[in-house]
Amino acid sequence: MKETKVGIVSCSGEECLGGTISRLATRKVLEKLRMGETVTICLPLFIAGGEEERLFAKVFPTIAVDGCSKLCAMRATEKYSGKVNAVINVAEILGEEIALSELVSLKELPENYEEMVDKVANEICRKIDKIISDILTKEALEELESEGKSSGGCCCGSC
Amino acid sequence: MDKNYVVLPCNGLDKCAGCITREIALILKEKISCEIICPVFYRVADARYNKLANENQLIVIDGCNTRCATRLASEKNLKVYKKVNVSEVAQKNNITLSKELKVGEDEKRVIEIIINELLQENQNTSKDLEIKFPETLDYEIYKKDKFIFRLPKNGFYFNENDCWVYVDGNLARIGVTDYVQQSLSDIMFFNPPTVGNEISQFDEVGTIESGKAVFEIISPVSGKIVRINEKLLESPEYINENPYEKGWIADIELSDFESDKMLLLTFDEYFEKMKRKVDEFHV
Repeated sequence: MKETKVGIVSCSGEECLGGTISRLATRKVLEKLRMGETVTICLPLFIAGGEEERLFAKVFPTIAVDGCSKLCAMRATEKYSGKVNAVINVAEILGEEIALSELVSLKELPENYEEMVDKVANEICRKIDKIISDILTKEALEELESEGKSSGGCCCGSC
Repeated sequence: MDKNYVVLPCNGLDKCAGCITREIALILKEKISCEIICPVFYRVADARYNKLANENQLIVIDGCNTRCATRLASEKNLKVYKKVNVSEVAQKNNITLSKELKVGEDEKRVIEIIINELLQENQNTSKDLEIKFPETLDYEIYKKDKFIFRLPKNGFYFNENDCWVYVDGNLARIGVTDYVQQSLSDIMFFNPPTVGNEISQFDEVGTIESGKAVFEIISPVSGKIVRINEKLLESPEYINENPYEKGWIADIELSDFESDKMLLLTFDEYFEKMKRKVDEFHV
């Protein structure tokens, strides 16, 4: 199996709580839940012209994590690197009202913010697992196909 | 806080330094009530931040030497008031930033250093911009019927538009004369100029309004608005009570008073002019 890393592009999150939750959830996935399997793509750098970031998003599967339905992360990724493999919109998971509420400071995050972060982080993990599983399945099929071709017939061995 | 700030952090999420810029922006928001610009949203929606970035003192905070925030400010042609580079500050203070995104003890020290420097600078700037205005003024008075027109004698200059300026070093306080407040009668609204705006001599710097008319305040000097008389927002009638003392309009950091002065009137010149106006127009 080839080593597969999944890129995560998170919303930069200054406009609303959804943005902050998306950053925190992305960090939780990167640092704890799927450490080693994921790479962060810095959205401000990506938009500013970061070649490495753009190339990574072109070559590797990528998930956009957006705080609200403006979908800045998804739009930017698709503009510069092509279609993303999955999009997570925090507003869809937590509801528009929560996601769009104004963020004052990190100290004033709602009491249940960790729950919110977990909910979004789990959704990111679900998408990562699905992407990796699809890649593995595809690789397995390709391998079977190439084995079939090299033996000159089907897998029954009698052809 | 008299000056308004706006912060543009790089908000990076691939290095710890980027995460630190965001922490700093959030702390500044709390401490000096500044607005934060989202670097990503600014690129997709100019209109959301253009006015904010142009009308306030812009602090740009970069995490690393890629300087995404500085590049963005430059692309948008923004005038930068202060630039901070987190990695440079860390290096200067012999602090090694974590390779992880988490903000640990060392990173907190960097945040503290930067915040303290910015707040200290802000305090110094506010102090430097404090005008020394006389506690009592000596007036010359001209009476017409029941109306009294005062005019302060010392240290004041006037323009033809009935606005005054008092100069203290590189700072000036401006306002309107008694002639304006008597002409307008009861002033009900004060529409102030924007703090931080650069203005030329004879630019409009806000309006005052009574039941009779709206008066455009014409600045006698050029420079930058550093303070407005916020009390007038609640009590515009202070201008009627005394337009030279509690009814002052704004403080300005002067850019070229020597040139401005050539187009201004001294006390004697304006006093004569005011008397003629009063006599001719019968307020």
